[in-house]
Order: sequence, then C-alpha cells, then structure tokens
Amino acid sequence: MAAISGRGEDLRGYATYATLMLKGALSLSKTLVTNAGDVVKLRQIRPAEQHYVRPAQRYELPVYEPGMQYCRSSERYLRPTRFCNPWEPEVIALANKLGGFRVSDYEFAQAAFEHAKEKMTLEICPLDSVGEALRRGTGTCFHLISVFIALCRAAGIKARYKMYAINMIQAWQAAVVDVDPLTKKWYDSLGYFVIEGEGEAYIDGRWVVAHVGPTKERQAAAGIPITRFGEDSLGIWFHARPGTIMRFESIPPGLGGGSRTLHRIAPGSMERINVSIQKQIQLGREIIAAAGGPEAYDRRVREAAGPSLPKVEMKARQEITFTE
Amino acid sequence: METIADYMHRFETRLSAYIPPRSSWTPADEALFGPSDLFRMPLDQAEALRFKAIKYAFDLHYTCNDTYRTFCTEAGIAPDDLKHPDDLDKIPLIPDRFFKEHPAGKDFAIWLGNIITGEMPRVVINGSNPSFDEVIKAFNQAGMVVAYSSGTSGRHTVIPRDQRTYNTSQFAAGKSVITMAYPEWDSDIYGYLLMPNPRKTNVFAGKVCGIYFDTIKEVRVAIDRDLPAEVVRLAMSGENSLRARAVRLFNKLNSLRMVDKIIRWLAHHHNAGNKIALVGAPFLVSAVIHKLREQGRSFDFSQRGALVTGGGWKAFEDQRIGTTEFRKQVQETLGIQENYCLDVYGMVEGNGWMVHCQEGHYLHAPYSYYKPMVLDEDNNPLGYGEWGRYAFLDAAATSYPGFIITGDMVRLLERCPVCDRPGPVLEPEVRRAAGEDTRGCAEEVRRVVSADLGG
Repeated sequence: MAAISGRGEDLRGYATYATLMLKGALSLSKTLVTNAGDVVKLRQIRPAEQHYVRPAQRYELPVYEPGMQYCRSSERYLRPTRFCNPWEPEVIALANKLGGFRVSDYEFAQAAFEHAKEKMTLEICPLDSVGEALRRGTGTCFHLISVFIALCRAAGIKARYKMYAINMIQAWQAAVVDVDPLTKKWYDSLGYFVIEGEGEAYIDGRWVVAHVGPTKERQAAAGIPITRFGEDSLGIWFHARPGTIMRFESIPPGLGGGSRTLHRIAPGSMERINVSIQKQIQLGREIIAAAGGPEAYDRRVREAAGPSLPKVEMKARQEITFTE
Repeated sequence: METIADYMHRFETRLSAYIPPRSSWTPADEALFGPSDLFRMPLDQAEALRFKAIKYAFDLHYTCNDTYRTFCTEAGIAPDDLKHPDDLDKIPLIPDRFFKEHPAGKDFAIWLGNIITGEMPRVVINGSNPSFDEVIKAFNQAGMVVAYSSGTSGRHTVIPRDQRTYNTSQFAAGKSVITMAYPEWDSDIYGYLLMPNPRKTNVFAGKVCGIYFDTIKEVRVAIDRDLPAEVVRLAMSGENSLRARAVRLFNKLNSLRMVDKIIRWLAHHHNAGNKIALVGAPFLVSAVIHKLREQGRSFDFSQRGALVTGGGWKAFEDQRIGTTEFRKQVQETLGIQENYCLDVYGMVEGNGWMVHCQEGHYLHAPYSYYKPMVLDEDNNPLGYGEWGRYAFLDAAATSYPGFIITGDMVRLLERCPVCDRPGPVLEPEVRRAAGEDTRGCAEEVRRVVSADLGG
C-alpha cells in the first residue's frame, strides 16, 4: 500500500519548484530582453492573424442545491487548497451528478477524469478558481487538474498534484510551443518546459495518476494513444526532466501570479497557442472520424506503438541503503 | 599459417581472466566460451546450444526478476512453453525505451533494484536526493557495472550489468572482433581508442572497450577525461541554454588538439614500423583523414594496420557517409586495407556483437548464444530478406533480461552472400526507425567531442 502522508515530499518538491521557477523566470527575462523587438511585434495578435474564439461549453453544469452531499474535511489532501476549493457550489453539484458517494471511489474518480479531460478544453489563461473554470468550460492544464482534484476531494477521495519539468514529443511541441516565436525562444533557451502536471487520486491504497490536459482530439492530432485514467503522460508524449518530479497537496505559490504576468506581457503569444489548440482539436476530430471512431483510432495507435512496457513495481530492496 | 583454433586459443589464454571457471559454466557460457570460432559453427550444433542457452536465460529472468515475470505472465508465457527452438519467438520482448523510462533520485536506485535479475550487492547511497551519477557510482562501487547510452532526447538508456555479465559482454566483443580479424591479431600491437576511457566513464560505448587494454600491448585514449552523465546529456540534447553552450564550447576546445595528437601518434608508429589497431567512432577517423588530406599527407599501414569502428556513420554534422566510401578513404589515406577495416554493430542493451566479415563486410551474428530477429510493424517476426525492426534474444545477459526490441531498422539474411560462414547476417547499413531518437555510441562520442571537427 502506498504511503499517503508526504510532508517531506512537499518540502523537497518546494525546493525543486523554487529552482525551476527561478530558472524559468531568469530564462524568460533573458528571452524578453534579448528579443525586445520581437516582444513589441509579437506580444499582441497582428490584424492579419487569426483570433481565438472560446469554444462553446461541452456540458451542462448542474445547479447546486442546498443539502447536496460533499466531504467537508480539513484533512490533508481533502481540504481546500490554493485555486482548488472542493466546497464551491459548482464542484459539489457536479460531484453529485457524477455519482459522488453512490459509486465506488474508482468509478467516481474515473468519471471526474473523463469530465476534466474530455468535456473541458485547454485554454491558456490566468489561473483562477475551479468554479470559474467549470463555468467557462476551459482552462490551463492546472485548471483541469484542479477540477479533477476538487471533484475527488468533494466526493471524499484524497487527491494531489504531481508536477514536473518536461521535454515533449515533436508533434506536441509543434502545436503548443513552436506556434509562437516568443514561446519557442523561451523553450529553446531553457531546453525544456518549466512546469507541467497531472493529478493523482488515492484509491484502494494507492495513488492513481490522472492526466487530464489533452482531449482525445488533441491526442489524435499528435498521433498518440487516447490515454485513460491511470495512464501517465510521462513516457508517451512528455518526458520528465530527471529530478523534477514533485508532489504537492496544493498548487504552489507563484504559479497564479506567474500565469497573470505572462498574460500581461504577451497576450498575443497566449492567443496564438489557443488558436493552435483549436486547430489541433479540429485536426484530431478528422483523424478520429477517418479511423472509424475513438476506440478504433486508439486500438490502431496502440498496436502500432508495439508491445507495452514492463511495469516496475517500486519495491524496496534490502540491499539498497540510503543514508542522509 | 596458424590455425583459427590455435589463434583463438592464444587469445583465450591472454584473456583468461574474463572467462569464468569451466565448473561454473551455464548453458549461456557454454554457447559463448565453448566454440573457438563463433561464426563458423555448424548451424544445427549452434541452434542446439542457442536454444539451451536462451531457454536457460529466460528461466533465470522469469524466476528471479519480478518485473519481467509479471510482464511474461501478462503475455501468458512461462518457461514450460519453450519446448522447441521455434518457441523462442514466443519470449516476451522488452522495447528498448523501457530502459529510458527511469525516475530520478532515490527512486532511480529503487527502479534499478527492481529491474535487476537475482541477487545484487549491498549498495549504499548518500544524500537525500542523489543525482543520476551518484546513484550509478554507488551501484558501481558496490561491484555492479551500470552503464548508459544517450539519445538526442538527452534521456539515458540505463543497463545494470553485474560483473559477470560485463566481463562476458567485453569478452564477446573481443572474441567476435579477433575472430573476424583472423589471422592479424597478436598482442604486440599499439592501439588508439577513439572512445571515452572506460575507467573514466559510465558511457557504455567506452565501458565495453575495457578489454582492448588487455588484448594488445599498449593503448592510448582519445577522450581521456571524466565524462559525467550531465555533460553527455547536454551534448546530446542540443539544448541551447548557457550551460549547454558552455559545455559544448569546452568540449570543442578540448577536441581541437585531439586530431593532431592522433596524427602524431600515427606518424610515430608509421616511422617505427609498428603494428597498430584503431578502435572507435568512425567520425574521429574521418576527422583524421580530413586533416591529413588538408595537409597533403598519408600513411601506409597496409601490412600492419587494422581499424575497428562501431556505432554509426555520421561522419560530420549533417553528413553521413557509406561504409564502402569510408573504407576507401581509410585505405587511401592511412593505407589500412579494406579487409581489415571492420565495423561492429552492438548496443548498450545487448551483449551480442555483430562484426563485418573481411570478405563482404556483412554483419555476422554470434548465433550460438544470440538470436537476431526482424519484426514487422505489429512486432511479429519476419522472414529472412525483409526490412524490419531489429530485435534480439541475448543469452549472455544474466543481470537483466536481454530480450529486446530496438529502434533500429535492419535486413537480416539467412547467410552471407559473399563469404562461406554459415550463420545469419545483417546487411551493413543499419538505420534508425522513424520517430526514434538518433542514437549510437559514435553519435554520442561525436557530440561529446564537439559539434564538428572540421568536416
């Protein structure tokens, strides 16, 4: 059974996070200073460029009714944290609709995963609450992870954030980095993307990963399998930079401010990425249709990817001793 | 002329420290250490040895490696399913990317512990968040030989060998090359290793060359400095950070004198009338040839020189040369005869070394303990003569399961179209499959040495 408590893990994570954020900020400053001309030119969308239009919400948000059941606990991994309040009315209403307290923890977490991953759309925007994201139907990967985590916590399932710095497969990079010259320069100057993440829910004695960032259409556009609850992005389209995997109860400080600053500095860059995401979704939709539906597409891609990898159960070996 | 049996006996006597005591030989050892010529064994005899050796290895990993056993259980294969040589195709193959997907810090050590077959030595790791190099160092100080290779993604493929597997791998490489170089090898040869110093690196390309020092009289090393994993990663990844650029600049400055040093060494042994053997990355040889041509110079090592290359054919940045053209250039500039210009194909995940024959320069497999395979897009075995993804069953790997699907595209032939050796061969040109990292020890060395030595 995996251990739940992780204060030490949090502290180690904060040290890694601080280093990453510092490097990210320095690298961004350098990119902005050394490309000041480009910043002036590219920070806003030019008239000839396509503008981003937020897609329609793909679900009906249930109405909150007093008396709806939810978990009001102050226990670690169940309580509200930064940008993730499981007690918000929208969260409680949706958790009830998804079967909270009526279905098994696994079934509920899977339903929360499906909602965040397949019914919401990635949009690069400043970080705000789960309630806002649910009303909008869109959000950054951290919004979507927070939706998943808040839903789980509202239903009494412990949930946390897993974060890391990444390198990504070329098709992914082409869609979310290369489309904007400033973002590309920033990425190139660091050699990796500063922070990416996924959620984890504690079910039947183990942490189960949930990567809710991409819809099936975006995954099809990149030619990768449609990942399921329990499948990691790492090793499929992301590769974590060694030593950067962190686990937190809460979104760490600085991420919200950072996202607002980025949006102020280069709103055009964010918009270009959002336009590209919409194009990616459209392309993926066509690919899935041509393959004969999501299941057929997924089966074909998984077969082509070859046999699965052995799963390493991380059991301690008595021959290995760690000394502090 | 000395018979091949006497020639190999001389080699085995010199390298006896690499051979385990006969009383402890496993079927895999019988198949590797037993035959005097790995490439001329009668096929039926070799197939019997190979079946026993691979079946033994499969049984070992199935029994003593929980990770691999679970993988086999999911595939529905157990040792009892291997009753006939054809059944070897049922063995579950591990995609090579598995060995790249390792966590960091303490988890990296635990991951290593869980992919190792059987017992391992006591490993003590200091620090709350040990680095990649620190974990590897701790394992290696305990007696393991954990080595890695790196692709252009900057991710390291990590393979944990125990001392026995490491010695076996080196011996297999030495035996394969010396067999193919018959009758030219003797110990009174001067060598230049165009790879990292095996004692100062955990890069497998260097590590496996340790036996070179014991095979001949004296060996100089081109990259004779410590090579931490981070330097290799930065060199391979093409990252554009300040640190990465500083590392590349440092590497380049270090490398500027390397080619001149090699040329001075060649001139010395040319004038002294000594026999030489160069071993390593073809791009460094190309850099030497390029420099010599610029200077209007050449050497004649026609009766006393050999060149053994390994790991890929990018001669310079964005320039890949064919093996035939390369051998021609070597003969014109260094005088080394084409038949003593041999390429070796192997990889960090395996301990089987495929070597060019002198006659046709096809890559011959050591088929008594190692089964090369070619797979189609659905990972089913293809027949001889078809292009497909390279895979192999390696009985010599005892500390990890050596049943691997690689990222290389090859064509396997039933026998060599040129020479009379009976076993299977690969066509000389090996490519990377689409979507795979650019890899190969030569590429790794090329990027570590410098971006470009003047091509």
